Amino acid sequence: MYAFAKKFGWAEQFAKNIKVEKDAQGWDEPSIEDTLREINRGTWTIGYTGQSPERLKLHMKNMHTFDVKTLKAVGGPCDGEYFGLPWPCYGTPEMKHPGTPNLYDTSKHVMDGGGNFRANFGVEKDGVSLLAGEGSASKGADLQMGYPEFDHVLLKKLGWWDELTEAEKAAAEGKNWKTDPSGGIIRVAMVNHGCHPFGNAKARAVVWNFPDPVPQHREPIYSPRPDLVAKYPTHDDKMKFWRLPTLYKSMQEKVKDISKDYPLVMTSGRLVEYEGGGEETRSNPWLAELQQEMFAEVNPKDANDAGFRNGEYIWVESPTKARLKVRAQVTQRVAPGTVFLPFHFSGWWQGEDMLKYYPEGAAPVVRGEAVNTATTYGYDSVTMMQETKTTLCRVSKA
Amino acid sequence: MGRMKFLCDAERCIECNGCVTACKNEHEVPWGVNRRRVVTMNDGVPGERSISVACMHCSDAPCMAVCPTDCFYKTEDGVVLHDKDKCIGCGYCFFACPFGAPQFPNGPAAFGARGKMDKCTFCAGGPEETGSAAEYEKYGSNRLAQGKLPLCAEMCSTKALIAGDADVVANIFRERVLRRGGGAEVWGWDAAYGGGERKQERKQERKREGQS
Repeated sequence: MYAFAKKFGWAEQFAKNIKVEKDAQGWDEPSIEDTLREINRGTWTIGYTGQSPERLKLHMKNMHTFDVKTLKAVGGPCDGEYFGLPWPCYGTPEMKHPGTPNLYDTSKHVMDGGGNFRANFGVEKDGVSLLAGEGSASKGADLQMGYPEFDHVLLKKLGWWDELTEAEKAAAEGKNWKTDPSGGIIRVAMVNHGCHPFGNAKARAVVWNFPDPVPQHREPIYSPRPDLVAKYPTHDDKMKFWRLPTLYKSMQEKVKDISKDYPLVMTSGRLVEYEGGGEETRSNPWLAELQQEMFAEVNPKDANDAGFRNGEYIWVESPTKARLKVRAQVTQRVAPGTVFLPFHFSGWWQGEDMLKYYPEGAAPVVRGEAVNTATTYGYDSVTMMQETKTTLCRVSKA
Repeated sequence: MGRMKFLCDAERCIECNGCVTACKNEHEVPWGVNRRRVVTMNDGVPGERSISVACMHCSDAPCMAVCPTDCFYKTEDGVVLHDKDKCIGCGYCFFACPFGAPQFPNGPAAFGARGKMDKCTFCAGGPEETGSAAEYEKYGSNRLAQGKLPLCAEMCSTKALIAGDADVVANIFRERVLRRGGGAEVWGWDAAYGGGERKQERKQERKREGQS
């Protein structure tokens, strides 16, 4: 990474707070301790600020002082801390937050790893308070009712502002707990008053900024059930979705009867011996040997209806007119009407092995049809993640 | 003196093939030769079980009985090993073995053309000098001589596959069977996550919900 930064001319800024030394091979090696300190300085919100290299090393050295069940040190230099300072570990390392063994545990003081639910969605919605109720805060908190996240205004209103040092005051003025680089707001809230800097609120079940504030059933664009499409249609088309026009209802309308030609649900998933698209794991002969061919799991009923047997080559065709040539694994593991394909294969294209197009020595040991050759149009209505999990298909003997 | 044994607990095996891969890695076993494999029964139907199988290092080994060149021998730990310099690749041991342990690099070729038999050594090498390059080349690494157990069992993520002295292995398994509260035929949700008390609690919870 440092060599990359150097090549592009920003090594100085990249390692501004990090000591760079030569390693055994003569490479410029950024100090791992300084790198962690840099991470500590920039992660107030998620609580990766307390895990300094010195504290972690002390834990490693005194491993034997931690209880193996509770993970808490009993006596010794790490007394009361949880092993490895489990996330989140708030505040500066000097504040000595013990780490959080379980999130939202109100039975413990915040300085003993306790906590409550975060106030992350404002304090009210449609006139209803989003803050938690009376007596809901973590053990020993000075504020036992719901409260918003801490900032300079709240500290001043509570009369706790003067508990900051002069240096902390200068850094915290105009800031909230996430942007105060001194960590002073966090210190006062947690150490002095047992309060959680991120506030104490209710979880929200209604996500008002999502297209469906509560999850609703909507049929997929490529649905095997036209009757359900009529009853549970998808979203309206979006002209600008992450800047792009994205089709929902018009696409679903267009293909609503497609299950006449493609009656089976095609789904995809993983095998334990391969990872991701499988390019690396299929290039490892020990793993490649375990599953040497791309296959489709088909229920005996569907296999018999289509007229093929276990172990024969079949065509799996999807509404894009893509055709995958794979081995049939006839098994009751899938229900009638469902075809399962693993997604770890690539290197074949619609029946043909692409071996000759790989550069010399670059081809994985085993190759097969890639399932995403067959998957169809569709995007998640919030994240715009593409639909590469499932679609419809038909199967026939190759 | 120990009596080395493998035991695969079919209630725990998840067919991950980690043992197979560990073996291939440790001994650089070539493609097509499987000293260990995972066999799945009733694949794809409820009650499906998997079991990892290799040489069982039998007390009265049939391979030893049928070998025409008498290439097999047993170590003082009860591990069945063989001498590849004596093996003529006849395949008799393959027919005699009930577990399919003997492997041949050239597959089921004609007599003599199968190549030297290869099988699980319980990570105990062979007749060559312990730890020598010749031993590694022919039989793989000798972990037992280093005080280590077979890598397949050491790497098993669910501790389904256990290896070691027969008495110790048997005790571990006996304890598991006792804790499961039934015979080895017990399986499913209750065996894994507890029936009895927890089940009663859930039942009562449902009852309360029904009333309210």
